[in-house]
Amino acid sequence: MDYTIVLLAIFDGLSYAALVFMVAVGLTLIFGVLRILNVAHGSLYAIGAYLTASIGGAIFAAGFAPILAFPLMLIAAALVGILLGGPIEYLLLRRIYHKPEVLQLLVTFAVFMILEDVQRLVWGNQPYFEASALQMLGNIQVFGVYYTVYQLILLPVVAALTLIGLRVFLRKTLTGRLITAVTEDREAAQSIGIDANRVYLLTFVVGAGLAGLGGALASPTTSVLPGIGAEMIVLSFAVVATAGLGRIEGAAIAALLIGLGRSAATYTFPELQVLVPYLIMLAVLLVRPEGLFGSPAARKI
Amino acid sequence: MSTHLLEARDLEIRFGGVVAADGVNLTIDEGKNLAIIGPNGAGKTTFLNICTGWLKPSRGQVFFLGEDVTRLPPRKIVQRGVARAFQIPQLFSEHTAMENLLIAVSAREGRQSPFLQMEAQPERDEMRELLDLVGCADVADARVDALSEGRRKLVDIAVALALKPRLLLMDEPTSGVASSEKFEIMDILVKALARADVTSVFVEHDMGIVKNYADEVAVWNAGEVQMRGTPDEILAHPDVIRDVIGEEAA
Repeated sequence: MDYTIVLLAIFDGLSYAALVFMVAVGLTLIFGVLRILNVAHGSLYAIGAYLTASIGGAIFAAGFAPILAFPLMLIAAALVGILLGGPIEYLLLRRIYHKPEVLQLLVTFAVFMILEDVQRLVWGNQPYFEASALQMLGNIQVFGVYYTVYQLILLPVVAALTLIGLRVFLRKTLTGRLITAVTEDREAAQSIGIDANRVYLLTFVVGAGLAGLGGALASPTTSVLPGIGAEMIVLSFAVVATAGLGRIEGAAIAALLIGLGRSAATYTFPELQVLVPYLIMLAVLLVRPEGLFGSPAARKI
Repeated sequence: MSTHLLEARDLEIRFGGVVAADGVNLTIDEGKNLAIIGPNGAGKTTFLNICTGWLKPSRGQVFFLGEDVTRLPPRKIVQRGVARAFQIPQLFSEHTAMENLLIAVSAREGRQSPFLQMEAQPERDEMRELLDLVGCADVADARVDALSEGRRKLVDIAVALALKPRLLLMDEPTSGVASSEKFEIMDILVKALARADVTSVFVEHDMGIVKNYADEVAVWNAGEVQMRGTPDEILAHPDVIRDVIGEEAA
Protein backbone atom coordinates (compact mmCIF):
# COMPACT_ATOMS: atom_id res chain seq x y z
CA MET A 1 0.00 0.00 0.00
CA ASP A 2 1.12 3.54 -0.74
CA TYR A 3 2.55 5.17 2.37
CA THR A 4 0.71 8.40 1.63
CA ILE A 5 -2.54 6.54 2.15
CA VAL A 6 -1.29 5.35 5.51
CA LEU A 7 -0.33 8.88 6.45
CA LEU A 8 -3.69 10.23 5.34
CA ALA A 9 -5.45 7.59 7.39
CA ILE A 10 -3.38 8.54 10.44
CA PHE A 11 -4.08 12.25 9.98
CA ASP A 12 -7.79 11.65 9.46
CA GLY A 13 -7.87 9.50 12.55
CA LEU A 14 -5.96 12.01 14.64
CA SER A 15 -8.15 14.99 13.77
CA TYR A 16 -11.30 12.96 14.18
CA ALA A 17 -10.10 11.60 17.52
CA ALA A 18 -9.47 15.16 18.71
CA LEU A 19 -13.08 16.14 17.97
CA VAL A 20 -14.57 13.02 19.51
CA PHE A 21 -12.40 13.52 22.58
CA MET A 22 -13.72 17.05 23.12
CA VAL A 23 -17.25 15.68 23.36
CA ALA A 24 -16.42 12.45 25.19
CA VAL A 25 -14.35 14.19 27.86
CA GLY A 26 -17.30 16.38 28.89
CA LEU A 27 -19.55 13.34 28.93
CA THR A 28 -17.16 11.38 31.12
CA LEU A 29 -16.50 14.35 33.45
CA ILE A 30 -20.22 14.78 34.03
CA PHE A 31 -20.65 11.06 34.61
CA GLY A 32 -17.67 10.92 36.95
CA VAL A 33 -18.99 13.68 39.18
CA LEU A 34 -22.78 13.62 38.81
CA ARG A 35 -23.16 9.89 38.07
CA ILE A 36 -25.52 10.74 35.24
CA LEU A 37 -25.10 9.61 31.66
CA ASN A 38 -26.14 12.68 29.74
CA VAL A 39 -27.70 11.68 26.41
CA ALA A 40 -28.48 15.35 25.72
CA HIS A 41 -24.72 15.87 25.41
CA GLY A 42 -25.07 15.14 21.67
CA SER A 43 -27.50 18.03 21.26
CA LEU A 44 -25.14 20.38 23.07
CA TYR A 45 -22.48 19.41 20.55
CA ALA A 46 -24.85 20.00 17.63
CA ILE A 47 -26.02 23.36 18.97
CA GLY A 48 -22.40 24.46 19.43
CA ALA A 49 -21.84 23.61 15.76
CA TYR A 50 -25.05 25.32 14.58
CA LEU A 51 -24.31 28.49 16.54
CA THR A 52 -20.80 28.76 15.15
CA ALA A 53 -21.76 27.99 11.55
CA SER A 54 -24.85 30.21 11.40
CA ILE A 55 -23.49 33.22 13.31
CA GLY A 56 -20.15 32.90 11.50
CA GLY A 57 -21.89 32.74 8.13
CA ALA A 58 -23.93 35.84 8.95
CA ILE A 59 -21.09 38.01 10.27
CA PHE A 60 -18.59 37.05 7.57
CA ALA A 61 -21.23 37.80 4.92
CA ALA A 62 -21.59 41.21 6.58
CA GLY A 63 -17.87 41.77 6.04
CA PHE A 64 -16.34 40.96 9.41
CA ALA A 65 -12.82 39.48 9.48
CA PRO A 66 -12.64 35.65 9.31
CA ILE A 67 -10.25 35.63 12.29
CA LEU A 68 -13.34 36.24 14.43
CA ALA A 69 -14.23 32.60 13.76
CA PHE A 70 -11.98 31.58 16.68
CA PRO A 71 -13.37 33.83 19.40
CA LEU A 72 -16.81 32.96 18.05
CA MET A 73 -16.15 29.27 18.82
CA LEU A 74 -15.34 30.10 22.43
CA ILE A 75 -18.42 32.28 22.71
CA ALA A 76 -20.61 29.53 21.26
CA ALA A 77 -19.14 27.05 23.75
CA ALA A 78 -19.76 29.43 26.66
CA LEU A 79 -23.34 30.04 25.50
CA VAL A 80 -24.02 26.31 25.30
CA GLY A 81 -22.47 25.72 28.72
CA ILE A 82 -24.18 28.55 30.54
CA LEU A 83 -27.51 29.02 28.75
CA LEU A 84 -28.27 25.34 28.11
CA GLY A 85 -26.07 23.40 30.56
CA GLY A 86 -26.93 25.63 33.52
CA PRO A 87 -30.73 25.33 33.29
CA ILE A 88 -30.61 21.60 32.44
CA GLU A 89 -28.71 20.86 35.65
CA TYR A 90 -30.48 23.39 37.83
CA LEU A 91 -34.07 22.79 36.73
CA LEU A 92 -34.00 19.13 35.75
CA LEU A 93 -31.08 16.95 36.81
CA ARG A 94 -31.09 18.31 40.38
CA ARG A 95 -34.46 16.62 40.87
CA ILE A 96 -33.35 13.18 39.73
CA TYR A 97 -29.96 12.52 41.34
CA HIS A 98 -31.52 10.06 43.76
CA LYS A 99 -33.78 8.42 41.20
CA PRO A 100 -33.11 5.12 39.40
CA GLU A 101 -30.62 5.20 36.53
CA VAL A 102 -33.24 4.19 33.99
CA LEU A 103 -35.24 7.30 34.82
CA GLN A 104 -32.13 9.47 34.60
CA LEU A 105 -31.39 8.07 31.16
CA LEU A 106 -34.97 8.64 30.03
CA VAL A 107 -34.95 12.23 31.26
CA THR A 108 -31.71 13.15 29.49
CA PHE A 109 -32.95 11.29 26.41
CA ALA A 110 -36.12 13.39 26.52
CA VAL A 111 -34.00 16.54 26.71
CA PHE A 112 -32.08 15.25 23.70
CA MET A 113 -35.32 14.74 21.72
CA ILE A 114 -36.61 18.18 22.67
CA LEU A 115 -33.35 19.88 21.70
CA GLU A 116 -33.29 17.99 18.36
CA ASP A 117 -36.65 19.54 17.50
CA VAL A 118 -35.54 22.94 18.77
CA GLN A 119 -32.63 22.75 16.33
CA ARG A 120 -35.02 22.07 13.43
CA LEU A 121 -37.23 24.94 14.55
CA VAL A 122 -34.38 27.41 14.75
CA TRP A 123 -32.11 26.28 11.92
CA GLY A 124 -34.45 24.28 9.68
CA ASN A 125 -33.44 21.19 7.72
CA GLN A 126 -30.92 22.75 5.34
CA PRO A 127 -27.23 22.19 6.02
CA TYR A 128 -24.94 25.00 7.17
CA PHE A 129 -21.35 25.13 6.05
CA GLU A 130 -18.91 27.76 7.23
CA ALA A 131 -15.23 26.92 6.82
CA SER A 132 -13.48 30.28 7.18
CA ALA A 133 -11.47 29.08 10.17
CA LEU A 134 -10.24 26.06 8.27
CA GLN A 135 -9.41 27.97 5.07
CA MET A 136 -7.65 30.74 6.98
CA LEU A 137 -5.03 28.45 8.43
CA GLY A 138 -4.23 26.89 5.05
CA ASN A 139 -2.48 23.60 4.34
CA ILE A 140 0.69 21.98 5.47
CA GLN A 141 2.86 19.44 3.68
CA VAL A 142 4.03 16.50 5.77
CA PHE A 143 6.15 13.82 4.05
CA GLY A 144 4.64 14.76 0.74
CA VAL A 145 1.06 14.70 1.98
CA TYR A 146 -1.00 17.90 2.07
CA TYR A 147 -3.34 18.32 4.98
CA THR A 148 -5.19 21.26 6.56
CA VAL A 149 -3.37 22.95 9.45
CA TYR A 150 -6.71 23.31 11.19
CA GLN A 151 -7.32 19.56 11.34
CA LEU A 152 -3.78 18.30 11.67
CA ILE A 153 -2.45 20.82 14.20
CA LEU A 154 -5.12 23.04 15.70
CA LEU A 155 -7.65 20.33 16.63
CA PRO A 156 -5.13 17.95 18.26
CA VAL A 157 -3.47 20.88 20.08
CA VAL A 158 -6.80 22.10 21.45
CA ALA A 159 -7.68 18.55 22.54
CA ALA A 160 -4.29 18.10 24.23
CA LEU A 161 -4.60 21.46 25.99
CA THR A 162 -8.09 20.52 27.16
CA LEU A 163 -6.79 17.25 28.56
CA ILE A 164 -3.84 18.88 30.34
CA GLY A 165 -5.97 21.81 31.50
CA LEU A 166 -8.61 19.52 33.01
CA ARG A 167 -5.98 17.41 34.71
CA VAL A 168 -4.28 20.40 36.29
CA PHE A 169 -7.62 21.97 37.16
CA LEU A 170 -8.90 18.85 38.93
CA ARG A 171 -5.68 17.89 40.68
CA LYS A 172 -4.14 21.21 41.62
CA THR A 173 -6.64 24.01 41.92
CA LEU A 174 -8.92 24.64 44.84
CA THR A 175 -12.12 24.38 42.83
CA GLY A 176 -10.87 21.21 41.16
CA ARG A 177 -10.06 19.63 44.51
CA LEU A 178 -13.53 20.48 45.78
CA ILE A 179 -14.97 18.76 42.71
CA THR A 180 -12.93 15.62 43.39
CA ALA A 181 -13.91 15.75 47.06
CA VAL A 182 -17.62 15.89 46.22
CA THR A 183 -17.09 13.09 43.69
CA GLU A 184 -15.40 10.91 46.28
CA ASP A 185 -18.01 11.40 49.00
CA ARG A 186 -20.86 13.81 48.52
CA GLU A 187 -22.17 13.37 52.06
CA ALA A 188 -18.78 13.92 53.68
CA ALA A 189 -18.35 17.02 51.54
CA GLN A 190 -21.66 18.40 52.65
CA SER A 191 -20.94 17.67 56.29
CA ILE A 192 -17.92 19.92 56.18
CA GLY A 193 -19.96 22.65 54.52
CA ILE A 194 -19.11 22.26 50.83
CA ASP A 195 -21.96 23.36 48.59
CA ALA A 196 -22.32 20.16 46.58
CA ASN A 197 -25.12 21.62 44.45
CA ARG A 198 -22.86 24.41 43.29
CA VAL A 199 -20.11 21.93 42.47
CA TYR A 200 -22.55 19.84 40.41
CA LEU A 201 -23.80 22.90 38.55
CA LEU A 202 -20.26 24.04 37.81
CA THR A 203 -19.25 20.60 36.58
CA PHE A 204 -22.25 20.31 34.29
CA VAL A 205 -21.71 23.77 32.84
CA VAL A 206 -18.05 22.95 32.14
CA GLY A 207 -18.97 19.56 30.61
CA ALA A 208 -21.71 21.08 28.47
CA GLY A 209 -19.36 23.87 27.41
CA LEU A 210 -16.85 21.27 26.25
CA ALA A 211 -19.54 19.60 24.12
CA GLY A 212 -20.38 23.01 22.66
CA LEU A 213 -16.71 23.67 21.98
CA GLY A 214 -16.43 20.28 20.29
CA GLY A 215 -19.32 21.22 18.00
CA ALA A 216 -17.88 24.65 17.32
CA LEU A 217 -14.52 23.14 16.41
CA ALA A 218 -16.14 20.50 14.20
CA SER A 219 -18.30 22.98 12.27
CA PRO A 220 -15.64 24.14 9.75
CA THR A 221 -14.82 20.52 8.86
CA THR A 222 -18.30 19.30 8.07
CA SER A 223 -21.80 20.30 7.04
CA VAL A 224 -23.94 21.07 10.05
CA LEU A 225 -27.26 19.36 9.56
CA PRO A 226 -29.90 17.48 11.55
CA GLY A 227 -28.64 14.21 13.02
CA ILE A 228 -25.04 15.17 13.76
CA GLY A 229 -25.83 15.27 17.48
CA ALA A 230 -27.14 11.72 17.48
CA GLU A 231 -24.12 10.46 15.56
CA MET A 232 -21.71 12.16 17.95
CA ILE A 233 -23.39 11.05 21.17
CA VAL A 234 -23.34 7.41 20.11
CA LEU A 235 -19.67 7.64 19.17
CA SER A 236 -18.83 9.43 22.43
CA PHE A 237 -20.60 6.72 24.38
CA ALA A 238 -18.40 4.19 22.60
CA VAL A 239 -15.29 6.17 23.57
CA VAL A 240 -16.40 6.65 27.18
CA ALA A 241 -17.37 2.99 27.59
CA THR A 242 -14.13 1.80 26.00
CA ALA A 243 -12.10 4.03 28.31
CA GLY A 244 -14.07 3.25 31.46
CA LEU A 245 -16.77 5.62 32.70
CA GLY A 246 -15.44 8.72 34.38
CA ARG A 247 -11.87 8.29 33.12
CA ILE A 248 -10.61 11.51 31.59
CA GLU A 249 -7.15 10.41 30.46
CA GLY A 250 -8.62 7.10 29.35
CA ALA A 251 -11.07 8.96 27.11
CA ALA A 252 -8.12 10.47 25.24
CA ILE A 253 -6.58 7.06 24.58
CA ALA A 254 -9.91 5.52 23.62
CA ALA A 255 -10.69 8.45 21.30
CA LEU A 256 -7.36 7.90 19.54
CA LEU A 257 -7.96 4.18 19.30
CA ILE A 258 -11.42 4.62 17.86
CA GLY A 259 -10.47 7.58 15.65
CA LEU A 260 -7.54 5.72 14.11
CA GLY A 261 -9.49 2.47 13.81
CA ARG A 262 -12.31 4.25 12.05
CA SER A 263 -10.07 5.99 9.53
CA ALA A 264 -8.10 2.80 8.90
CA ALA A 265 -11.40 1.18 7.98
CA THR A 266 -12.33 4.11 5.75
CA TYR A 267 -9.26 3.47 3.59
CA THR A 268 -9.34 -0.32 3.63
CA PHE A 269 -12.91 -1.54 4.18
CA PRO A 270 -15.03 1.59 3.77
CA GLU A 271 -18.23 -0.38 4.27
CA LEU A 272 -17.08 -1.12 7.84
CA GLN A 273 -16.35 2.52 8.69
CA VAL A 274 -19.51 3.02 10.73
CA LEU A 275 -19.14 -0.29 12.46
CA VAL A 276 -15.48 -0.21 13.50
CA PRO A 277 -15.81 2.07 16.56
CA TYR A 278 -18.36 -0.31 18.05
CA LEU A 279 -16.33 -3.38 17.16
CA ILE A 280 -13.40 -1.85 19.05
CA MET A 281 -15.68 -1.09 22.01
CA LEU A 282 -17.09 -4.61 21.89
CA ALA A 283 -13.63 -6.18 21.79
CA VAL A 284 -12.47 -4.11 24.78
CA LEU A 285 -15.61 -4.71 26.83
CA LEU A 286 -15.48 -8.46 26.18
CA VAL A 287 -12.04 -8.61 27.78
CA ARG A 288 -12.48 -5.80 30.32
CA PRO A 289 -16.16 -5.13 31.03
CA GLU A 290 -15.22 -2.08 33.14
CA GLY A 291 -13.35 -0.50 30.21
CA LEU A 292 -9.63 -0.04 29.59
CA PHE A 293 -9.04 2.19 32.60
CA GLY A 294 -12.19 1.71 34.65
CA SER A 295 -12.43 0.11 38.05
CA PRO A 296 -15.24 -2.43 38.47
CA ALA A 297 -16.81 -0.48 41.34
CA ALA A 298 -17.11 2.69 39.30
CA ARG A 299 -19.14 0.93 36.63
CA LYS A 300 -22.76 1.88 37.07
CA ILE A 301 -24.40 0.77 33.86
CA MET B 1 -33.18 34.89 75.81
CA SER B 2 -31.78 31.46 76.37
CA THR B 3 -28.03 31.08 76.47
CA HIS B 4 -28.10 27.41 75.58
CA LEU B 5 -25.62 26.33 72.97
CA LEU B 6 -28.16 23.94 71.52
CA GLU B 7 -31.75 23.36 72.42
CA ALA B 8 -34.06 20.68 71.05
CA ARG B 9 -37.75 21.32 71.61
CA ASP B 10 -40.34 18.59 71.35
CA LEU B 11 -38.74 16.74 68.40
CA GLU B 12 -40.77 14.03 66.76
CA ILE B 13 -39.89 11.79 63.83
CA ARG B 14 -41.10 8.38 62.68
CA PHE B 15 -39.75 5.85 60.22
CA GLY B 16 -42.73 3.79 59.19
CA GLY B 17 -44.14 2.52 62.45
CA VAL B 18 -41.00 3.19 64.49
CA VAL B 19 -40.94 6.36 66.55
CA ALA B 20 -37.31 7.44 66.60
CA ALA B 21 -37.98 10.71 68.36
CA ASP B 22 -41.10 11.15 70.45
CA GLY B 23 -41.10 14.57 72.02
CA VAL B 24 -37.37 14.95 72.63
CA ASN B 25 -36.43 17.96 74.75
CA LEU B 26 -32.77 18.55 75.46
CA THR B 27 -30.50 21.48 76.14
CA ILE B 28 -26.76 21.50 75.73
CA ASP B 29 -24.64 24.12 77.43
CA GLU B 30 -21.21 25.35 76.56
CA GLY B 31 -18.26 23.53 78.09
CA LYS B 32 -19.98 20.35 79.29
CA ASN B 33 -19.30 17.14 77.44
CA LEU B 34 -22.52 15.21 77.25
CA ALA B 35 -22.68 11.47 76.66
CA ILE B 36 -25.83 9.95 75.20
CA ILE B 37 -26.44 6.34 76.12
CA GLY B 38 -29.33 3.96 75.52
CA PRO B 39 -30.27 0.68 73.90
CA ASN B 40 -29.98 0.20 70.14
CA GLY B 41 -32.85 1.75 68.22
CA ALA B 42 -33.57 4.30 70.95
CA GLY B 43 -33.09 7.16 68.48
CA LYS B 44 -29.67 8.44 69.54
CA THR B 45 -28.21 8.65 66.04
CA THR B 46 -31.49 10.05 64.72
CA PHE B 47 -31.17 12.86 67.23
CA LEU B 48 -27.69 13.71 65.94
CA ASN B 49 -28.97 13.59 62.38
CA ILE B 50 -31.75 16.04 63.18
CA CYS B 51 -29.35 18.43 64.93
CA THR B 52 -27.03 18.44 61.91
CA GLY B 53 -29.82 18.93 59.37
CA TRP B 54 -29.64 15.51 57.72
CA LEU B 55 -33.12 14.58 58.92
CA LYS B 56 -36.08 16.90 59.22
CA PRO B 57 -38.38 16.21 62.19
CA SER B 58 -42.13 16.05 61.62
CA ARG B 59 -42.59 18.22 64.70
CA GLY B 60 -40.42 20.34 66.96
CA GLN B 61 -37.44 22.59 66.56
CA VAL B 62 -33.71 22.75 67.07
CA PHE B 63 -32.15 26.02 68.19
CA PHE B 64 -28.46 26.75 67.96
CA LEU B 65 -27.39 29.81 69.95
CA GLY B 66 -31.02 30.88 69.96
CA GLU B 67 -31.49 30.57 66.19
CA ASP B 68 -33.95 28.07 64.73
CA VAL B 69 -31.84 25.79 62.50
CA THR B 70 -34.39 22.98 62.08
CA ARG B 71 -35.05 23.52 58.37
CA LEU B 72 -31.57 24.57 57.34
CA PRO B 73 -29.54 22.31 55.03
CA PRO B 74 -26.61 20.47 56.69
CA ARG B 75 -24.07 22.78 55.09
CA LYS B 76 -25.61 25.90 56.66
CA ILE B 77 -25.71 24.28 60.06
CA VAL B 78 -22.02 23.41 59.81
CA GLN B 79 -21.26 27.00 58.89
CA ARG B 80 -23.03 28.16 62.04
CA GLY B 81 -20.78 26.01 64.21
CA VAL B 82 -22.18 22.49 64.59
CA ALA B 83 -19.77 19.84 63.30
CA ARG B 84 -20.19 16.09 63.37
CA ALA B 85 -18.00 13.02 63.43
CA PHE B 86 -19.59 9.68 62.79
CA GLN B 87 -18.94 6.01 63.53
CA ILE B 88 -17.10 5.56 60.28
CA PRO B 89 -14.71 8.45 59.66
CA GLN B 90 -15.97 10.50 56.74
CA LEU B 91 -12.71 11.31 55.06
CA PHE B 92 -11.74 11.76 51.43
CA SER B 93 -9.84 8.52 51.28
CA GLU B 94 -7.88 9.24 48.12
CA HIS B 95 -6.39 12.34 49.75
CA THR B 96 -3.74 12.78 52.45
CA ALA B 97 -4.57 13.83 56.00
CA MET B 98 -3.28 17.33 55.29
CA GLU B 99 -5.31 17.57 52.08
CA ASN B 100 -8.43 16.55 53.98
CA LEU B 101 -7.85 19.42 56.39
CA LEU B 102 -7.14 21.86 53.57
CA ILE B 103 -10.37 20.87 51.85
CA ALA B 104 -12.19 21.46 55.14
CA VAL B 105 -10.60 24.86 55.64
CA SER B 106 -11.52 25.97 52.11
CA ALA B 107 -15.09 24.93 52.88
CA ARG B 108 -14.98 26.86 56.16
CA GLU B 109 -13.71 29.99 54.43
CA GLY B 110 -16.13 29.52 51.50
CA ARG B 111 -13.07 29.74 49.30
CA GLN B 112 -13.23 28.58 45.70
CA SER B 113 -10.84 29.36 42.93
CA PRO B 114 -9.85 27.77 39.64
CA PHE B 115 -6.48 29.53 39.92
CA LEU B 116 -5.39 29.18 43.53
CA GLN B 117 -3.62 25.95 44.46
CA MET B 118 -5.14 24.16 47.40
CA GLU B 119 -1.80 23.90 49.15
CA ALA B 120 -1.26 27.65 48.83
CA GLN B 121 -3.92 28.44 51.39
CA PRO B 122 -2.71 30.61 54.28
CA GLU B 123 -4.08 28.22 56.92
CA ARG B 124 -1.48 25.52 56.28
CA ASP B 125 0.33 26.10 59.57
CA GLU B 126 -2.94 26.26 61.47
CA MET B 127 -3.86 22.86 60.00
CA ARG B 128 -0.47 21.40 60.88
CA GLU B 129 -1.03 22.48 64.49
CA LEU B 130 -4.42 20.78 64.44
CA LEU B 131 -2.86 17.54 63.23
CA ASP B 132 -0.29 17.91 65.96
CA LEU B 133 -3.05 18.46 68.50
CA VAL B 134 -4.60 15.09 67.64
CA GLY B 135 -1.20 13.42 67.53
CA CYS B 136 -1.21 12.86 63.78
CA ALA B 137 1.44 15.32 62.61
CA ASP B 138 3.63 12.41 61.54
CA VAL B 139 1.06 11.15 59.03
CA ALA B 140 0.16 14.55 57.54
CA ASP B 141 1.27 13.47 54.08
CA ALA B 142 0.01 9.89 54.18
CA ARG B 143 -3.13 8.97 52.31
CA VAL B 144 -5.88 8.47 54.86
CA ASP B 145 -6.88 5.08 53.47
CA ALA B 146 -3.44 3.83 54.53
CA LEU B 147 -3.96 4.83 58.18
CA SER B 148 -5.19 2.65 61.04
CA GLU B 149 -8.81 3.04 62.08
CA GLY B 150 -7.74 4.83 65.27
CA ARG B 151 -5.66 7.32 63.33
CA ARG B 152 -8.50 7.88 60.87
CA LYS B 153 -10.81 8.68 63.77
CA LEU B 154 -8.37 11.28 65.02
CA VAL B 155 -7.90 12.82 61.57
CA ASP B 156 -11.68 12.91 61.27
CA ILE B 157 -11.85 14.87 64.53
CA ALA B 158 -9.13 17.22 63.23
CA VAL B 159 -11.23 17.80 60.09
CA ALA B 160 -14.21 18.65 62.29
CA LEU B 161 -12.07 21.01 64.39
CA ALA B 162 -10.72 22.66 61.22
CA LEU B 163 -14.25 23.97 60.72
CA LYS B 164 -13.90 25.89 64.02
CA PRO B 165 -17.16 24.58 65.46
CA ARG B 166 -18.67 25.54 68.83
CA LEU B 167 -20.28 22.14 69.16
CA LEU B 168 -19.11 18.74 67.95
CA LEU B 169 -21.57 15.85 67.72
CA MET B 170 -19.93 12.43 67.68
CA ASP B 171 -21.52 9.07 67.08
CA GLU B 172 -19.50 6.43 68.92
CA PRO B 173 -16.09 8.05 68.58
CA THR B 174 -14.28 4.86 69.56
CA SER B 175 -16.29 2.24 67.68
CA GLY B 176 -14.20 0.06 65.43
CA VAL B 177 -11.10 0.78 67.47
CA ALA B 178 -9.30 -1.96 69.40
CA SER B 179 -10.27 -1.74 73.08
CA SER B 180 -6.62 -1.30 74.06
CA GLU B 181 -6.53 1.91 72.02
CA LYS B 182 -9.88 3.33 73.09
CA PHE B 183 -8.75 5.23 76.16
CA GLU B 184 -5.71 6.60 74.41
CA ILE B 185 -7.87 7.97 71.63
CA MET B 186 -10.38 9.46 74.04
CA ASP B 187 -7.56 11.11 76.00
CA ILE B 188 -6.27 12.81 72.86
CA LEU B 189 -9.75 13.69 71.74
CA VAL B 190 -10.92 15.25 75.00
CA LYS B 191 -7.72 17.21 75.35
CA ALA B 192 -7.99 18.50 71.77
CA LEU B 193 -11.61 19.52 72.31
CA ALA B 194 -10.74 21.38 75.50
CA ARG B 195 -7.86 23.15 73.81
CA ALA B 196 -10.04 24.15 70.85
CA ASP B 197 -12.80 25.24 73.24
CA VAL B 198 -15.37 22.95 71.65
CA THR B 199 -18.29 21.42 73.50
CA SER B 200 -19.05 17.84 72.59
CA VAL B 201 -21.98 15.48 72.58
CA PHE B 202 -21.16 11.84 71.99
CA VAL B 203 -23.20 8.70 71.64
CA GLU B 204 -21.40 5.90 73.44
CA HIS B 205 -21.96 2.27 74.30
CA ASP B 206 -18.82 1.77 76.37
CA MET B 207 -19.71 2.68 79.95
CA GLY B 208 -16.03 2.85 80.92
CA ILE B 209 -15.63 5.72 78.48
CA VAL B 210 -18.81 7.41 79.61
CA LYS B 211 -17.66 7.23 83.23
CA ASN B 212 -14.23 8.66 82.47
CA TYR B 213 -14.90 11.32 79.87
CA ALA B 214 -18.46 12.65 80.19
CA ASP B 215 -19.44 15.56 82.39
CA GLU B 216 -23.09 14.66 82.00
CA VAL B 217 -25.07 11.71 80.72
CA ALA B 218 -28.46 11.62 79.01
CA VAL B 219 -30.30 8.32 78.77
CA TRP B 220 -32.30 7.68 75.61
CA ASN B 221 -35.06 5.11 75.40
CA ALA B 222 -37.80 4.59 72.82
CA GLY B 223 -37.27 8.00 71.28
CA GLU B 224 -37.25 9.90 74.55
CA VAL B 225 -34.76 11.39 76.99
CA GLN B 226 -35.54 9.39 80.11
CA MET B 227 -32.95 10.69 82.51
CA ARG B 228 -30.13 13.10 82.75
CA GLY B 229 -27.45 13.55 85.37
CA THR B 230 -23.82 13.09 86.29
CA PRO B 231 -22.14 9.85 85.20
CA ASP B 232 -22.04 8.60 88.79
CA GLU B 233 -25.76 9.14 89.35
CA ILE B 234 -26.84 7.75 86.02
CA LEU B 235 -24.61 4.70 85.84
CA ALA B 236 -25.69 3.65 89.33
CA HIS B 237 -29.39 3.99 88.61
CA PRO B 238 -31.21 0.63 88.70
CA ASP B 239 -33.26 1.36 85.55
CA VAL B 240 -30.13 2.21 83.62
CA ILE B 241 -28.37 -0.90 84.87
CA ARG B 242 -31.34 -3.01 83.77
CA ASP B 243 -32.17 -1.36 80.40
CA VAL B 244 -28.85 -0.06 79.13
CA ILE B 245 -25.87 -1.55 80.87
CA GLY B 246 -27.49 -4.98 81.04
CA GLU B 247 -28.04 -4.95 77.34
CA GLU B 248 -24.52 -3.77 76.65
CA ALA B 249 -23.09 -6.54 78.81
CA ALA B 250 -25.16 -9.20 77.06
